Amino acid sequence: MAGANFSFPVFHSYPPYFTLQPVKETREKQSALWKDLILKYCKQHKIFKLSTDTASELELFHNRGIDRQLSPAALDAFLSELVAQGNAQWLDSGHHQCLILWKRLDEWAAALLEWARSSGMEDSVTTVEELLSGDEVRGTELEGVPRELMQAMLRFLEKQGRARLFKGSTADDEGVKFFL
Amino acid sequence: MRRRPGISGLQHGTAARVHYKNLGDHVQQVKLEHMRSQLEIFRKSLEEFALKHRDGVRQDPEFRAKFHAMCANVGVDPLASNKGVWAQLLGFGDFYYELGVQIVEACLATRAYNGGLMDLPALRRYVQRRRGSLADPISEDDILRAIGKLKALGSGFAVERIGKQALVRSVPGELNTDKNKLLELGQATGYISEQETRHKAGWTERRFDENIQALLREGLAMVDDSPGGGRLFWFPCLSSQLAAPNQPAGS
Repeated sequence: MAGANFSFPVFHSYPPYFTLQPVKETREKQSALWKDLILKYCKQHKIFKLSTDTASELELFHNRGIDRQLSPAALDAFLSELVAQGNAQWLDSGHHQCLILWKRLDEWAAALLEWARSSGMEDSVTTVEELLSGDEVRGTELEGVPRELMQAMLRFLEKQGRARLFKGSTADDEGVKFFL
Repeated sequence: MRRRPGISGLQHGTAARVHYKNLGDHVQQVKLEHMRSQLEIFRKSLEEFALKHRDGVRQDPEFRAKFHAMCANVGVDPLASNKGVWAQLLGFGDFYYELGVQIVEACLATRAYNGGLMDLPALRRYVQRRRGSLADPISEDDILRAIGKLKALGSGFAVERIGKQALVRSVPGELNTDKNKLLELGQATGYISEQETRHKAGWTERRFDENIQALLREGLAMVDDSPGGGRLFWFPCLSSQLAAPNQPAGS
């Protein structure tokens, strides 16, 4: 399994790092370490979305060895900081679902465009479903990208004039055309 | 009959004084000569000693510590100058200055995690790792000596003794007896709880609170809401594996 040999940094075995620190300087350092760890962990395990409700099921936020779970307040604070720096997006206003962008959105969009170029998608139309189903993107870094991230990339490209979305035959199927 | 002062009496007195002076000069000259030759012999012996034991002093930290103890006994400071016999023959000055720089680096790199207070063995391991596996081993004694040299810069480096543990402090500030007490109580486990500490030290709530808040502000303590429901206070400087928390465990 990918990332089975992920080695956690030392702070992950030190109990106070699982409680949001009250002193500003200490909290900033704590936050920097956690943000870095969250991005690295999600990247290696190909995790695109985190649910704050089930976060404690992940080894990342729950170290059974020292019997500590990252407190919900701390998790919300670190994810919100990731959102602020462009490395995450909340998917709902209640902060339950979060898109983790270990590659920033513009980098993802560039990767999608590059894929479209190399697979000769110019002037032809594909659908969001096809992009997500995997046949076309199998073996590329776009494999496994969730709908939310794909749509965010496409909207990003649309804004730049590099892609256009069409309403498809069914309500939830959209067509895509890339301008290369 | 009393002899009156006469011209010959005066002359005699002057001649005697000149004579004494000459004699005195001569004795001093001889003494100086003697001292010079003794110093020469001493210097030669030191040089011989240094040359003979150079490798031992350079490579063996234990031997080095004994060598320093010997020097202290005879009242010689091999680190007093970079230009002395010792420094030149043993490369000592450079050795300790280099070590000093590495210690400063280590303390700065880990300050954010330990609040500027670092366990001495952890500091030694950090510096040793930084010097690479090919470098000759260094001892805690070497670290303490290098820190002694750093003091000359007025840089605020100091060694704090808490119980039987030595901690190197790289930030200005001081541990009063109360803060010291808290760290000492945390030594066995790395953390303390308010209830147990107040019970052991016989402190009021206020006294505990004031001191722990000060340690938190200085970055020397961190809070931990344990699953048991109690709030614990951890001291990163007492957990030596935390010396460099951005390195993966086990490396």
